[in-house]
This record gives sequence, structure tokens and C-alpha cells, in this order.
Amino acid sequence: MDKIRAFIEEQFLVEFDDDDFPEDTNLFKEGVMDSFGYVQLCRFLEREFAITFTEAEMTGNVLVSLTQIRDTVTAKLKQNG
Amino acid sequence: MCGIAGLIRTEVASQDLPDIIAGMLDRISHRGPDGMGTVVGDDWALGTARLAIIDPKDGIQPMADAGGRFWLAYNGEIYNYRELRSELEAHGAVFHTQCDTEVLLAAWLHWGAECLPRLNGGFAFALYDRRDRRLVLARDRFGKRPLFYARHGNALLFASEMKAFLAVPGFVFAQDSGQLASILGVWTPLPDQSGFTGISALPMGEWMSVDAGGRMERHAYAPLRFADGLAPASEAEAMALIRQRLEQSVRLRLRSDVEVGVYLSGGIDSAIVARLTTDISGRPPATFSVTFDDASLDESPEQQAVAAALGTRHHALRITGAHIAEACPQAVYHAEMPAFRSAFIPMFLLSRLTRDNGIKVILSGEGADEAFLGYDLFKETLLRGAWDGMDEDSRRQRIARLYPHLGHYGPQEVAALTGLYQQFSTERMPGLFSHELRFQNGRFSARLLKDKADPFAAITALVTENDGLKGLSPVQRAQWLEYKTLLPGYLLSTQGDRPALAHGVENRCPFLDQSVIDAASCINLRFDDGYDEKRLLRRAFADDLPASVVNKRKFPYRAPDADAFAAARPDYLELVQSETELAKLPFIDAAFARRLSAKVLKSPAGEISTKENQTFLFLLSITLLHRFFVSREGVPGHDVGRPRPPVMRAVDLRGQP
Repeated sequence: MDKIRAFIEEQFLVEFDDDDFPEDTNLFKEGVMDSFGYVQLCRFLEREFAITFTEAEMTGNVLVSLTQIRDTVTAKLKQNG
Repeated sequence: MCGIAGLIRTEVASQDLPDIIAGMLDRISHRGPDGMGTVVGDDWALGTARLAIIDPKDGIQPMADAGGRFWLAYNGEIYNYRELRSELEAHGAVFHTQCDTEVLLAAWLHWGAECLPRLNGGFAFALYDRRDRRLVLARDRFGKRPLFYARHGNALLFASEMKAFLAVPGFVFAQDSGQLASILGVWTPLPDQSGFTGISALPMGEWMSVDAGGRMERHAYAPLRFADGLAPASEAEAMALIRQRLEQSVRLRLRSDVEVGVYLSGGIDSAIVARLTTDISGRPPATFSVTFDDASLDESPEQQAVAAALGTRHHALRITGAHIAEACPQAVYHAEMPAFRSAFIPMFLLSRLTRDNGIKVILSGEGADEAFLGYDLFKETLLRGAWDGMDEDSRRQRIARLYPHLGHYGPQEVAALTGLYQQFSTERMPGLFSHELRFQNGRFSARLLKDKADPFAAITALVTENDGLKGLSPVQRAQWLEYKTLLPGYLLSTQGDRPALAHGVENRCPFLDQSVIDAASCINLRFDDGYDEKRLLRRAFADDLPASVVNKRKFPYRAPDADAFAAARPDYLELVQSETELAKLPFIDAAFARRLSAKVLKSPAGEISTKENQTFLFLLSITLLHRFFVSREGVPGHDVGRPRPPVMRAVDLRGQP
């Protein structure tokens, strides 16, 4: 799961930090991720974890922060497993 | 077109004033290569570098009234000067020239500041009253022509371009990190911002006075309006109105004693301008375009279609990434402002081609998208506003209509956009709903600065303190913001006036005429839902232009961005990569800047996002501005080998009452 954090830090040039940039930060609203970056992120997750996101998952509010992304991926892996 | 400059209340020895004012004008002589004129008093001086367009022989500046009390330095054109002149003659005014400068002076003497709302044109001027030792500065309602001012000790300096201040002894440039934060967030300066400490821009639609005691007052004279009581009853009436207003606007802007050309972008707006120019002047104009090897940027088929249909003498300038990298420093020097994309650089090169073909005045389609809702921003505002009340099918349909090219990419892109909209369906930034998506990219760019102060504090204050915004619809508020930020702060300046005047070419914008905007305002969203952008404008000219242009969707004008620099590797990239160079700008977060530069310059172009491109261009232009203005290293010379303009008038009033 640290791979997700590393991908986001590398891809979006951010560093998570409990005080200034906690993991539950909404990445859209903070200007970290735009729709272009969002597609890159989803493709990375699908490739890395061999999962697929439904449209509802992509368009809902589930993939907007590192915390939520991690939870969603964990849940999907359990489902698949 | 001209450049103006001057200073009042100065304490420097009056014997030095002629050299100082000449030096200031020399710095901006690219704006007015035809002749220089100055007037010098005991503690003041002002002058003009003039590009002679109307009455080249007699319009020599600065111009005084008969008694020699008022002295005028004027930059721009007042298109309705003939009508104003007749009106003033009826009041007893007597004119000695055919020039609009004299009309402006007479108008001020007759009406005072009340003359300003009557002026239809692009202008900035300085008027000095010798008796009362009072200076007036004024600027046109849309910000077509620039005017900056700065306190310098007890003195007040002013100029069309800030580079004139480089010639003022003791004047020091320093970049203002607070203003830079706002510029990075918003994309452009706010109306009064310059990016430099202690220098202000006079906002569009305002005038100011400085009295003998140095007291300064600013007044707005032309608040934006989006309704004029017009109400066309049918689409046919609406289209007739559009045609009539645009025809009138182009006709006014063809008033010139030199030949007028047209910049053809490939879009509908400049095609309409070229069509009307041909019809009104009775012969096809010379037209000028930039083209690109990269098909995703290039619009040459449409440019050629218009040129062929009208029979214009067409000139195309092919721009490569290498051209962009080579011309960037000079273009940034002329722009004087951080820039978020590279598209202004080809315009700098195009004006050179225009001048070399003997054309001093061009018309362009600028301003149409703001008036007739051409940008996606307006549709996005409509969609986001309606989002929460829509079912999923309608949302998908609307997204597909808004971004028709998305189908080429696949369902993930559509889903990603839907996910994005989901996050931005309610207003979070007071008064800025329409621009919240854009400003998220700006928030990323603002990370270039060490100080993490809110980059949107200044624009939030601007919109919440402005009564003119009350009662506007969300889309009109979006228009208001465009008229106050992107249009004047980038399109008319960095991409408009500055690159054109860098080579002595004057740009005129028929869509930026209040009567055209009034027509647009009474038609917008009245006969359609706004998703087919500029539908009635297109239909109004559908029979007069090639179908490929009439039916083409809005195609944002862009040029190769970061990839051009990554490929060309110009020497000056050290400014954004070297720790030593970045340390010279203490307000920059050097670690982030270096990470960004490394990523942008090393990754394949397809992996660089819009906001990374934009942030890189901002960083590069900020460091170049620091080099030229703050460090004064390698300041481009007196520009493109142009000789100092001849002195046409030098009036010496020193020692005279």
C-alpha cells in the first residue's frame, strides 16, 4: 500500500505530512489532482493491483484522498481474493 | 500607437530631466518608432514615443492647449474621434489637426473626466496641468492599453511599460511575492497588479489624479455591464443585431491613415473580422497567421480556407519548438509579467513578420469568447451549477456534449471528469464558483512560493467588495471575472499589446466595443442553452465564410509548451534547474521548483499535465523577469536592432512660470 503513497507523491509532486498535508486530504479540491492525473492514478491502481474500477467507483466520492483510495483498494482485493 | 512615460514632483536636478525622460522613452521606443517628443518643466517631464497612425504629419506629441497650461501624452486610438470632434465644434472648439490627440485634449478641457465614458477606443494617457501641478492618468474601459505608475521618493513615475523605469536613476525592481501568489493562483495579475513591489497598474476603466501635494485619488468611470435593455424578439432579429453592431465596430476600427491587416487564427471570430474588413474597405486585407508542425495545435487548413475565400494576401509563419525556446527571453522581457503558457511567444514573432510586410495596424478576434460565451468555462459553470439536480444519464449526456473529443479516449476519461465535477458542484470560494476548477490548477502553481499564504485572498476581496457583481447570474459573474483577469491580464497584454508593440504593430479588437458586448449580452442564453458555443454569432455569418470555419468548435490557441524547452535545452534553463540560480529568488520554494523542472524536462510530453506545464512556464518566466528587471543582467537591448526614434519635439519649460 505504500506504493500508492509513493505513486501519488512522485506523480503529483507532493509529500504527505500529518500536519500540513495529511493522508485524508481531498486531492481534487487541493489542486493536487486534475482529471488527467485522476486517470493516471486509476490506471496505475488497476495495473498494480490487478483490479478494475467501476464507473460508479470512479465517479463517486471514493477515490479522492489517499485514505479513501487505500480503503477502496483493500476492499476490492478482499472481494477478489 | 505610442508609448508614454513621465514623472512629476521629482527632486532630481532639472538639468538631468531631459536625459531621464529621453531614457524612459528610449526603453519603450519599440512602441513608437516614428518619433519621440518630450516636454520638460522644473520638477516634471513627460513624453511620447509615437507610432503615427492617424494624421502622421500633424499629430506630434506631447500636445498642449492654446495657453500651454495642459500637456497631453497619449497612447492609443479613439475610434469615434470624428463624432466627438463635431460635437466639440458645435460647442465652439477649434481644431488645427486631423488627429484624435487634439480631440482628446479638447474633450478633457470641455467635459473633464465626464469625457471618458464617451470615448470608444483603446487608450491610456497622461495629462499634466502646469498651473495646478496636477497629473491625470486614465485608461480605456477594457484595459487594451497599459499604464503603470510607481512612487519613487516624493516623485510619481508613470509609463506604458514598466521597463521605462529601468532608466530612472535609483529605481529598484523587486518581485512582490504576495502579488506573485495571486498571479500564480488566478493565472494573471488582478487589474491593479504589476508583479513588482511598489508598482501599480491603473485598472481598466479608471482614471486617477495626483495633486501638487502628492495626494492620489482613483475613480472608476466604466463599470462592466451585461444588459442594455435590448431584447430581440427572434433569432433573425438577434442575428441582424449582431451583424449590424459588428459591422459598425469594424468600420470604426478601419479608420486609419495607414493600411490595416488582420490576424487570422483559424477560428470563427477573426474570420468574421476579415470578412467585414474585406466588405467595408472594398478590397481584401493582408492577413497573418501562425502555424505549427504539431497537428494538435495547428489551424492552417482553416486559416487558408478563409484567406482563399476572401482572396487576402496571406502570410503564414511556421513556428517550431526551437523558435519558442529562442524567442522566449525577449518575449518575456516585453511581457513584463509571469506567463502561464507559451502561446504569447509566437505572437511576438508574428508581429515582426507583420511589420516586415509594411503593416502597422492589425485587427483580431480577441474578445469574442468573453462576449458571446465561447469558452468551455461558461458551459462548465452552467453544468456544475445544475449538477446536483441532475440524474446520472443527463450528467453523462451533458459531459459528452461539453467535451465531444472525449469519446476518442474512452469511458475512464468520462468517468474521471464526472468524478471531478462531483467535487465541484457547490460554491466553496465565495463569488468565484465559475473559476474554482481553473483555480485548482492555480493552487498547484502557487506551490512555487515558499510562503503558503492564500493565493486567492486578493481576488476574493475584489469580488466580495464589488457591488457591480450583485444581481449577476453565475455565467455573467464568470464573464465579469474573465473581463477582469484573463482578458486584460494575459490576452490583451502578454499575448496582445506587448508582443504586437514589441515590433511597432498596433492591435485592434472589434469585439471589444461596448455596443457589440451589449448585443451579445441580450442574446446569450436567450435562444439556446449555451452548449453550442457562439451559435448565433456563427449563424449570423454562416453564408459569408467557409463551412469548415463556421462549423468548427472552439479550438483554444496554444503553442508547444514545456516540451519545446525540453527539446531545445536553451542555456537559460539553468535558471530553473540550478540551486545557485534559484537561491537568487528567496521567495521561491527551490526544492519544489527543482523537482518540477526535473519532471517536466525529463518526462515524455504526454505525461506532463496541464498544471505542470503551466507551473513550469510560470517558473521560467518569473526567473527570466528576475534576471532582466531585478538583477538587470542581459537586459535585451533597445530591441531588435531598432534605432532610437528621431526627436520630433522637445519643449523646454524649465524656469518658466
